[in-house]
Amino acid sequence: MTNKTNEKKVHSGSVNWYLWIGLFMTVTAVCMAVLGMFWTPYSTTAMSAAERFHAPTWRHLFGTDNFGRDIFSRVMHGAGTTIVVSAFVVLISGSLGILIGATTGYFGGILDEALMRIVDAINGFPSILLALVMISLLGSGRHNLILSLGIVFTPSFIRIVRSEFIRLRDADYIRRARLMGVGRARILFVHILPNIFSTFWVSVMIGFNNAILAESGMSYLGIGVLPPDASLGNMLSDAQGYLTRAPWYALSPGLTIVWIVLGFALLSEGIRRSGEEVSHE
Amino acid sequence: MSDRTTLVQIEDLTVKFPGNPAISHVNLTVERGEILGIVGESGSGKSVTALTLMGLLADDAQICSGQILFDGQVMAQAGRAQDKALYRRYQGARMSMIFQEPMTSLNPTGKVGAQVEEMLLLHTDLPKEERRRKVCERFAAVGLKSPEILYGCYPHQLSGGMRQRVMIAMATILHPDLLVADEPTTALDVTIQNQVIALLKEINEREKNAMIFITHDLNLARRICDRILVMQNGQVVESGRTEAIFEHPQEAYTKRLIAAVPKRKRGEEAVVTQQPPVVEVAHLNVFYPKQKTGFFKKNEKQLVVSDANFVIRQGETLGLVGESGCGKSSLSKAILGMNRDITGEVRHASVRPQMIFQDPYSSLNPAKTVEWLLTEPLRAAAARDDAWKMTADKRRELVCEMLRKIGMDESYLHRKPSQLSGGQRQRISIGQALITRPALVIADEPVSALDVTLQAQVMDLMKKLQREMGVAYLFISHDINVVYRMSDRIMVMKDGRIIEQGETKQIFEAPQEAYTKLLLAES
Repeated sequence: MTNKTNEKKVHSGSVNWYLWIGLFMTVTAVCMAVLGMFWTPYSTTAMSAAERFHAPTWRHLFGTDNFGRDIFSRVMHGAGTTIVVSAFVVLISGSLGILIGATTGYFGGILDEALMRIVDAINGFPSILLALVMISLLGSGRHNLILSLGIVFTPSFIRIVRSEFIRLRDADYIRRARLMGVGRARILFVHILPNIFSTFWVSVMIGFNNAILAESGMSYLGIGVLPPDASLGNMLSDAQGYLTRAPWYALSPGLTIVWIVLGFALLSEGIRRSGEEVSHE
Repeated sequence: MSDRTTLVQIEDLTVKFPGNPAISHVNLTVERGEILGIVGESGSGKSVTALTLMGLLADDAQICSGQILFDGQVMAQAGRAQDKALYRRYQGARMSMIFQEPMTSLNPTGKVGAQVEEMLLLHTDLPKEERRRKVCERFAAVGLKSPEILYGCYPHQLSGGMRQRVMIAMATILHPDLLVADEPTTALDVTIQNQVIALLKEINEREKNAMIFITHDLNLARRICDRILVMQNGQVVESGRTEAIFEHPQEAYTKRLIAAVPKRKRGEEAVVTQQPPVVEVAHLNVFYPKQKTGFFKKNEKQLVVSDANFVIRQGETLGLVGESGCGKSSLSKAILGMNRDITGEVRHASVRPQMIFQDPYSSLNPAKTVEWLLTEPLRAAAARDDAWKMTADKRRELVCEMLRKIGMDESYLHRKPSQLSGGQRQRISIGQALITRPALVIADEPVSALDVTLQAQVMDLMKKLQREMGVAYLFISHDINVVYRMSDRIMVMKDGRIIEQGETKQIFEAPQEAYTKLLLAES
């Protein structure tokens, strides 16, 4: 009997594989990307006619492209670009989401109604299409990409934050805070905000992954990060002409995107699960 | 069936959840046709015992010793995997269960008739018309009116009491030998509670099925049970015939439980003060927005409190009794200024009355520590009033002083609400309400969610703080015994009207209104 209970114990305290695998994948990706900002094995732009379309070897881990550039170096650099762009997109849309979602959710009324209809309208468009329109208004390039994706991603954060604030605005402890005479801004950001953190964190993780995919998609369409600056998306775009001749050219940035997105998804799931375990105790 | 033989026999039962034992070495028997009460505080293992018997334990629970016999058949035994097929044959047909929360134990998306009928569908071969007829018969038997109409209703269309009757109909439609009722009346109002108890007793007498009645309320157990089993920390502390337990309790724990039951007895005389009032309410009407009836109609208002007149004086406790839905909470919100849709007058002598809520689990911000929770009222007061401006050290001193006053100490400063028990949370709530020394605190059912022993402690604490700080309470409860123990004066409320008010003694000894008499007779 005691054996069996011990087994159960071990099981409940078993390794959180989501967390560790996700952490491993994310950390390697981020390390490579950060390293790629300062140092790459070869120059990311140096061309060499003699070394065009080399298959992966120990000298060129991911092979070379149509200009003879080292793909591994360009992937390191491009991953950095993609991650930085996505991080800023999430930062902008997350902050806007908290600010707008908190006020509209908590106060409600006509402002809430109006803003939510605007959000509905934005959601009515496919998000890539909307970003396309904004880019064509603002012009392409890294900064405009961040700005337009940031705005396109904001409505989903507004929705999440708003619904959480609506749920909590009538909680007993918030009523009591009002009775104590706590100011409105303080109720919003000191009393309620910490309580939506776990929900918000999950949506940040998902938003980050979507931003990576969106950045890659935009750059693939040639309206995001512009060549010769490397990003995973514009590398894919360049590679599509040589799919049969040099399949490693498309596979390298493609699998890197999968690696980052999967790693991050596993990491967020792992964090969520460990949070659950803690709350069960 | 009529001769008394043992129906259920639980021998030396120990159940463990991963890490901690839930119940250990429990022995009990249930005879055919009798009602056995299992009494204990929450966490004492009474529900685990019942769930184990019913075969409804979670998968990570384990039976570590002992066995369960039902009508001579071994249902579960230590070291043997649960026989799911055997249980499926018995559940519903020979043993069935009534749960505490009638809202969640019925499927909200199904018609109640069909949900009850499902029992017949699973366990009998009756044709469709026959099943329907039986369900309606059963509805009538549990005292539900117009069963044909009820058959097609959804759970949300029924009141709590009706839902619980539907649950009872569902549990008894196959005439099970054993009915397990787990706190079947805890979620209900007093008057409905009594009807449900009477119904259970009537079914027991008529159909002679055995019943296990699980409750934390000794008074209830006394009224319905033939025998009582007292549990504490997963063990059976005492068992015996109901009268014997109440007249000659053997164990200290049982004695304490019996002593903690609020009786109409109070140590001190009611204080009738002529102090200045802290709040005066005159001709107060409170409205509540009604659901729109048509698309183009304007929102209508519903009168939920009509013509309330009363004063609360400094340092006294005014009790407010009534069933849920009678307007108690609307009245308190109006006094606090949380509902501004009122006519009439509410005049406060001081600023900012505070409030203590019923549920200690939702009234403290779960993201904060005890220190933060107790400091926040001081910070908020300082922002409005220069008199409350003070240094951080002084604040901390006040917080520690309040912690000691509410019977806790500095070691709790850095805990979060999730690390506190229900009683401790309610203490923190009280501390939070009182730390800025308000003249009036409204306590809305502050002890209803607590166990009896905790109830007594929290009420004593509130009384003690009242003496020390001179605060006035508006004490709201559906439980007239609790109100009696706390209050100097009492108001009785029904359907939005205050029908009677007066000194506690006068209300209890010479109630004027029929409704007050009914409330007093039923508790």
